[in-house]
Amino acid sequence: MMRVLVAMIGILTALQAQPSYAQTVNITADMASSTFTVGARTFEISRTQDPDATLQGEFAKTNRPCPDFCIQPMIIASGVAPIGELEVIAFLQTEVAAGTGILIDARLPDWYEKGAIPAAVNVPFAALGAENPYLADILHALGAIEVNGEMTFDAAQDLVVYDNGAWDEQATRAITSLITAGYPASMIKNYRGGLQDWLHFGLSTVLP
Amino acid sequence: MIRSVVALFVFALLLCGYIVLRPGTPPRALTGDDMAVTRGLGDSILGPVPDVIASLDTTVVTPAPLRAPAPSLNVLTDNARMAETTANVLAGLGLNVAPTPDTTTADPMRDLTASVLSGIGQITGKQVTAGGETPAPNTSLEMLVVQALQQGQSDAYIDTIVNEAAKAGTITVPQGLVTANGNVDTAVLLYSLIEKARAAAGEPPLPPSGANEGVEFLSDDTEFRRVYTVGSGDSLGAIAIKFYGSVDKSDVIYQANRDVLSSPNAIQIGQRLAIPELAG
Repeated sequence: MMRVLVAMIGILTALQAQPSYAQTVNITADMASSTFTVGARTFEISRTQDPDATLQGEFAKTNRPCPDFCIQPMIIASGVAPIGELEVIAFLQTEVAAGTGILIDARLPDWYEKGAIPAAVNVPFAALGAENPYLADILHALGAIEVNGEMTFDAAQDLVVYDNGAWDEQATRAITSLITAGYPASMIKNYRGGLQDWLHFGLSTVLP
Repeated sequence: MIRSVVALFVFALLLCGYIVLRPGTPPRALTGDDMAVTRGLGDSILGPVPDVIASLDTTVVTPAPLRAPAPSLNVLTDNARMAETTANVLAGLGLNVAPTPDTTTADPMRDLTASVLSGIGQITGKQVTAGGETPAPNTSLEMLVVQALQQGQSDAYIDTIVNEAAKAGTITVPQGLVTANGNVDTAVLLYSLIEKARAAAGEPPLPPSGANEGVEFLSDDTEFRRVYTVGSGDSLGAIAIKFYGSVDKSDVIYQANRDVLSSPNAIQIGQRLAIPELAG
């Protein structure tokens, strides 16, 4: 009789071992994850498979003092389109993977080093200010070309800029500085939700 | 008989418990600490996550390769300062020159820019070779000059090899050393070497070369200004020697003309540069 009991418990344990490992938290109904290759590196974006996960730590805060952490406008400058997570992922899969676009993390390095959106490049807003004597080098790296002392951006990269979230002005400052430097607003998009919204959906981050 | 009834009862109890508890309570109980960031961080420290674990509940993270050294995106220039280049050449020649006290010792913008350029280089793939290997180091400008000087080559020879290497993109050149024609101003580099070597030997500094061609003196009611019109073959370093007798002062001219100069190497023929009086 003991053996029957043991066998039944064994069956139960086997049942217990199988379930709930299939992905159930997709990005969209028909996209579980997004994989793309940039240069020699392959990135994958998916979501945490825990339906009970909540935001923790720094990104769980709702009421940072304003100033300095004030609610940012949806439209930072005329021509700069605000976008969401799916557009960011599509941008990575198409433009960044093809080398025609760069996802810019506008936060200062200490933030960036704690975790960033996969394939993002850290271009802190401070580096884009007119007070940076090496700003031209950065613009060149982004594809701007100097013709007779004038910067031209015809061959420059399309940019998506983000920061910590809608309460953070680092992306706003970066975009404003880029436009001041002559970067066409139509080539810049703003992921306004930033890392806070990205994490709110449990999307993958990387350590640079 | 009793035992089998008890056994069936226990089994039924366990089955009920299993059915009741199963939904919403996965075997690996997740706590608040399992937040995406926390796990993301742990994963990339540990390296690639095995597939089995990844399929459980972990956000898959591709670990980033180590940060490559700052790339030289511009064929001709990098952010190094003349003083560093000069000190390296002299050190390469075996001359022990005390490090110049640099008035701009900490240049956070330069460091910030270098890491930005490194990041962009990695993504655009211009600097990162396939397989994530670090790019082969460039032959340095310093090495070229040291070798040529040790061989006793002429200034013209050094000028030629440096410019050829710069155009081929195999060396990088410090700020302020590119002329309005886009060449490397080797004369200024050599001048800087002599200047530092003299200073190291306790000899007086060279006087400003002080040619007056292209110089205008303007004055209005409040101030007296010197303006210099950039000529063919001028570099910011050469202009600094002309007016101040030292390559190191090229930054003074650059800072005074930030409105027209996008970088110390972006000077153009015909540009009118303010030449400030040195304070003190």
